[in-house]
Amino acid sequence: MSFLLRCPHCGERSVYEYRFGGEVKQRPPLDAPEEEWANYRYYCADAAGVQTEWWFHRDGCRQWLQAVRNTVSNEVVETILAGKTAGAR
Amino acid sequence: MKIFFGKREVEARPGDTIAAALYRSGQRIFSRSFKYHRPRGLVCAAGKCPNCMMNVDGVPNVRTCITPVIDGMKVKGQNAFPSLEHDGLSATQYLDRLMPVGWYYKIFTSRTAWHAVEPFIRRMAGLGEPPAVAAGEYEHGWLHCDVAIVGAGYAGMTAALEASERGSKVTLIDDQSEPGGQLLYRKRSRSGADGLIERLKARSEIRVLQGSYCFGLYEGNLLGVVQPAQRPGTAERLLHVRAGHVVVATGAYETPLVFPNNDLPGVMLATAAQRLMHLFGLQPGRRAVIIGADEDRVGELRDDFREKGTEVVAVVSIEDVVGATGGSEVTGLRCRNRKFSCDLIVVCGPRVPDAGLIAQAGGKLEWNQLQGAFVPTALPHNVSVVGDAAGETISAAFPPPAAGKRSFVCFCSDVSSKDLCDGVAEGFDHIETLKRYTTSTMGPCQGRMCQLMTIGICAQETGRSIADTGVTTSRPPNPSVTLGALAGNSHHPVRRTPLHDAHEELGAVWLDMGDWKRPRYYRTAVATPEKESVQGEYWAVRERAGLIDVSTLGKLDVRGSDAGRLLDKVYTHHFSDLRPGRARYALMCDEAGVILDDGTISRLGDDRYFVTTTTGNLDFVYQWLEWHLAETSWDVRVTNVTGGFGAMNIAGPKARDVLKKLTDCDLSPTAFPYMACRQAEVSGARSLLLRVGFVGETGWEVHCPAEAAEFVWGELLEAGREFGIRPFGIEAQRLLRLEKRHLIVGVDTDALSTPYEADMGWAVKLDKQDFTGKAALAKFASAPPRERLVGFALPGTNVPEDGCAVVVDGKLAGRVTSSRYSPVKQMAIGLAWVRPEKAREGASIGIRQSGRLVPASVTLRPFYDPEGTRLRT
Repeated sequence: MSFLLRCPHCGERSVYEYRFGGEVKQRPPLDAPEEEWANYRYYCADAAGVQTEWWFHRDGCRQWLQAVRNTVSNEVVETILAGKTAGAR
Repeated sequence: MKIFFGKREVEARPGDTIAAALYRSGQRIFSRSFKYHRPRGLVCAAGKCPNCMMNVDGVPNVRTCITPVIDGMKVKGQNAFPSLEHDGLSATQYLDRLMPVGWYYKIFTSRTAWHAVEPFIRRMAGLGEPPAVAAGEYEHGWLHCDVAIVGAGYAGMTAALEASERGSKVTLIDDQSEPGGQLLYRKRSRSGADGLIERLKARSEIRVLQGSYCFGLYEGNLLGVVQPAQRPGTAERLLHVRAGHVVVATGAYETPLVFPNNDLPGVMLATAAQRLMHLFGLQPGRRAVIIGADEDRVGELRDDFREKGTEVVAVVSIEDVVGATGGSEVTGLRCRNRKFSCDLIVVCGPRVPDAGLIAQAGGKLEWNQLQGAFVPTALPHNVSVVGDAAGETISAAFPPPAAGKRSFVCFCSDVSSKDLCDGVAEGFDHIETLKRYTTSTMGPCQGRMCQLMTIGICAQETGRSIADTGVTTSRPPNPSVTLGALAGNSHHPVRRTPLHDAHEELGAVWLDMGDWKRPRYYRTAVATPEKESVQGEYWAVRERAGLIDVSTLGKLDVRGSDAGRLLDKVYTHHFSDLRPGRARYALMCDEAGVILDDGTISRLGDDRYFVTTTTGNLDFVYQWLEWHLAETSWDVRVTNVTGGFGAMNIAGPKARDVLKKLTDCDLSPTAFPYMACRQAEVSGARSLLLRVGFVGETGWEVHCPAEAAEFVWGELLEAGREFGIRPFGIEAQRLLRLEKRHLIVGVDTDALSTPYEADMGWAVKLDKQDFTGKAALAKFASAPPRERLVGFALPGTNVPEDGCAVVVDGKLAGRVTSSRYSPVKQMAIGLAWVRPEKAREGASIGIRQSGRLVPASVTLRPFYDPEGTRLRT
């Protein structure tokens, strides 16, 4: 694994500069059934294809970003600065 | 220039490689073969085959044919007992009937027998000895360019010049010492190549890496390149080359033909003979026989030999060859009707496109019957292939390999054509299984000398076409790489606190905690045993005053109008209602309710908090806070200020008296109560004072600017001298906190520990609207615990080790996480996870200690000062 990931702040960098933070998931509401919480905590979709993921630019700007990555080819379709969007988590 | 070859001194000329200098001195045997210890000489002279590998200045398996001579080099043969010329183990070749292909699988069917002989086999077979010490500091480097070109032959140089002239930043990587490739040693190789080398050299914008080989092409156009040593005292350098576009211009290489005794020294590839003549001015032999059919090629060789005064005895075709003759060197070639006497057999072998990089990077190679070669047909993204590597000028007829037990296909591990035929006959008829069974193509040459012939034999024996037989999977490294180069330098980063030198002077004995160095304890005299030092430090804290460096604590400055909101969200307690000037214990859980970290949070102002984390979790906590902020528009800024502050904890009944001497801050219990914080000057240094009590005594954490820390530390020790203050280390601190039953996250807790089970339920506030872990914690609050973290005590001085099993009624019922001898209780104490029914005052449990079961009693209260009056005083 040695693909490049474009950081919205720092530009294209080696994936080894980043920490992988898992798939982007929607946090269930507090009163959601236990099963939904278990899914959120312990399971991932693990798609063979394009998925949106959290990445932390550890050796760069030290910010979280989201990358839309094809898990088969490691092609990074898009990177977005996760933030300042209204999404609740 | 001189090099030392064994005991012999060998003269070398500028521009010589090691092998060239040795060849000029008359050396013909360069190595002994892997299995049969047969003498081997130069075959490719281009760094592609295993035959010239020697030990150079302690480094094993150096390809001497492409390694330039340095004056005074010490060169030794390998895998020869006692010497390359006279190797007693060459007798093993006459035992070949006992050692058929895969013989160790067939003979040593019992494990005992295999273990008995394995060491001998290992000693007898193989390559060089691993060095005891590194040849120097191996280095890593990084390089970025628009276009990286591998191979500086005609095609590579042309591509480099074109790309550079179009304005691209170009790196050209070549494994020889001069650019030019075939142009340097083949006069008829190209028209229109005049002046190309000069033009390349004149174009300084192109970065040319000579003597550097590329061993892998990875995802994202990352090239692994090994450069020779760059500075005295260093060894090879591994360059991580990242290129926008990669051009593979690795050319083609010639491969040997298979006939009996084709491995004798003196049998070499035509390109090897040309290299020796034109690169080093050598005469490869006096009487040569050429095996080859291509008239142009033979004519070219005839011209070369005429110029060097080598007589061409005969030109024969491979179909007529019966075998080479000779003992340690070739003396003749036997053909069907004739016999020639010669000292050199020059083989015009099939030329193979060097497309290994393409194949391992995910490209496709396909058999082209017309060209007689596997040529790249599909290329990875942003990779192109030019010249011979693309199969441009290749047109080799594929000669049928003759079967024979002395007809070697794989020089690396002595695999003959008979071995391959036997392998197929035994059922290994797929090219991949045949490769693994016979180890052909798996040696240091990585299949470059033997792949084509192995495929040819497999095809012939199975009756399939070459296209259907296919090619073995290419994987990096190609070619073999020094392990030291991959490992890089041995530097491990170390973090030192601002008080490091002060500890050193005080006789600190160090403990590594992650990257940090922390004093384990201080030796008061050289011979003081650890136990005595720790006891001394312990009593100083309990009876007088102690001072410990806690600079390694993670420190985060969290500010902004939503700072409290963020801390409420990620920690289990309330923080937005914390009054400025107050501090609170902080516990962090994940969504599963598992404890992640703990520390203290002090509110310095309306919009400003000071957060401490455990030493090892700083990076994690920082990232955790940032992650929780990522999708919000909250006004919070988290800054890691760990390195900016030195921190020390002064604790003990006399701590107040000591600190009072250095600050104007009112330290009285009413003005500065337990869990309060103040910003004040200590010895003139602007500091943050936190009244906390990890060790269970009156005490303050003093956080001051890192540059002032050493001074403040010295001042505190000086001020405390009249009270008998002592610096204390981690060991005393761990004992002191254990007496208070304070847990350490990650030591007493693990990846399943929840606050309720760890007796920390008081730090979780379920009345908060929402926070990380609330859903899970709300469940745990009412559910019966699976286990509980309790204190235990047992009489005597025998302390159970951390991790000892807790046994109840003969069954495993928990584990010890921490234990020490308590000087104040005068018994062994500790923390242990036990079944919930045992989590009551005075319950008895058993602890298994060095094979014996020792009774212990459970306690839920601190062992020392259970009411906490001392730390509140």
